[in-house]
Amino acid sequence: MTTTALQRPRRVNASLRFELPPALEASSPPEARGLTRDAVRMMVARRHDSSLVHGTFSEFPQYLEEGDLVVVNTSGTLAAELAVEDRDGRSLVVHLSTQLPADLWTVELRQGTAPYFGAQAGDRFALGAGGTLALLAPYAQHPEGVRLWVAALSLPGPLFAYLSAHGRPIRYGYVHGEWSIAMYQNVYATEPGSAEMPSAGRPFTPEILTRLVARGVGVAPVLLHTGVASLEAAEVPYPEYFRVSAQSAHKINDTRRDGGRVIAIGTTVVRALETVVDERGGLSPGRGWTDTVITPDRTVRSVDGLLTGWHEPEASHLAMLEAIAGPALVERSYAAAVAEQYLWHEFGDVHLVLP
Amino acid sequence: MPVALITGSSRGLGRELALELAGRGWSLVLDARGCEALSATEADLRGRLGRGAQLVAVAGDVTDGAHREALVAAAERMGGLDLLVNNASTLGATPLPPLERYPLEVLREALEVNLIAPLAMAQAALPLLRRSPDPRIVNISSDASVEAYEGWGGYGASKAALDQLGKVLHVEEPAIRVWSIDPGDMQTQMHQDAFPGEDISDRPLPAFSARLIAGFLESDSRSGRYRVDDLALAR
Repeated sequence: MTTTALQRPRRVNASLRFELPPALEASSPPEARGLTRDAVRMMVARRHDSSLVHGTFSEFPQYLEEGDLVVVNTSGTLAAELAVEDRDGRSLVVHLSTQLPADLWTVELRQGTAPYFGAQAGDRFALGAGGTLALLAPYAQHPEGVRLWVAALSLPGPLFAYLSAHGRPIRYGYVHGEWSIAMYQNVYATEPGSAEMPSAGRPFTPEILTRLVARGVGVAPVLLHTGVASLEAAEVPYPEYFRVSAQSAHKINDTRRDGGRVIAIGTTVVRALETVVDERGGLSPGRGWTDTVITPDRTVRSVDGLLTGWHEPEASHLAMLEAIAGPALVERSYAAAVAEQYLWHEFGDVHLVLP
Repeated sequence: MPVALITGSSRGLGRELALELAGRGWSLVLDARGCEALSATEADLRGRLGRGAQLVAVAGDVTDGAHREALVAAAERMGGLDLLVNNASTLGATPLPPLERYPLEVLREALEVNLIAPLAMAQAALPLLRRSPDPRIVNISSDASVEAYEGWGGYGASKAALDQLGKVLHVEEPAIRVWSIDPGDMQTQMHQDAFPGEDISDRPLPAFSARLIAGFLESDSRSGRYRVDDLALAR
């Protein structure tokens, strides 16, 4: 079930293939487009009749009933990008991906919007204010070189304070402008540790949570700290740290026993829960490193539905989505999302899959 | 492939009209507030679409401008709009109260849904309708808009005003045929709400009115107000 953080990735494929038009990449937060967080669009896909309905996320509570349970990932986003220079004085950035024991991290070096393959084991980088990063060993290979490194991070002060002062949120080429870390936090985030925002929860607002509570819908927290998402096509997610408390495990078990539905907010929640589910769908508490990968040939037992963003072609998340929704419904959803011009990525629109 | 946008199409007359038009090869944009019913209607309709016809269901409230824009945008992506059916309505206060104590706030809300929203839908849809070779607007009316029934003052007034909007709209947009259609009594949730506790099983099914309306709006009938009983004869 769990594994060490250093296990090598495998490869996996979803069956879906599609072209993502650049115009459908959300380049700024909805707030910058004049929308509230909960005003992003939401497509609702149902397994039982394969129906698709278009709407907005503010209708989300309407789709749930008393006795259902919403499971959220309360991991907060780190300002995980730090500026560094290589030996020749070129400007690079380092993305802190996953914190390992003993101040070790997996990190990715990037130049502009592309991975940087010019580093070697033993390279040291000055991080500003006396911080240093030393590359120790390759973590993940790539045809062009080493993509992720295991590195030793040495900082002059506590991690969170240092990143608040010197880091900025990880940002890819499709995002225009720099946005504050607050734009990358879910309203229910409690514990920082994710390299990138678990963004399915981004449309939630205090009002949406209040409406859920008033409908008799439960909310249970789990934790999974995300690593960098800049994976190559069909590359399996790396091991990530997760925690499922006894209380949340019990709530999920009680919900299903009483006939309610368990709705995961984000693929990270599914990964955490599938790590601690048994063959009959019962959950146990757990914590540690998970290398669980949800592929279409696996039966997802821990959740009945999923709220998620729109994933890039060949992303491993699509394989998970196919496991939950079935390939045909995923294909219809993505064809409709392209036709109806939904927006992709962390500032984009969402997809709700229900039984 | 003609495109129709039908508000309030998850149940009752709107749903039956969508089924009728799907069977006649139309592409459809569906709208409803009730998400569960809209999902079921979307699933039912998908299997009945003609070859090449498209279907998009958008959940939301017709009194919300952003939602109206989303409906029209969905039609535009289908290639345009040939028919707008303003079907979504509310009875207003139930049980139907006499005017003496009609709650004014509820009347305002009823006018918002039954009168303002249909006009706003037409305003949003006009640019697309003007590009259609045969643009049509159907406003679903009621005999309560011309007859005086106790308790029906609020609803009837909203429908009478809607009838008049349609008449003027046709004068201002002569290329667009604008109809008010009274579908008659039907076994619908709205009718049941108007007569709580009463057995309404003697009324016709909404499929009956829908079939007549669908045939009518593919005819060359002129703008105006029609009762469903007249439709079979209309030419």
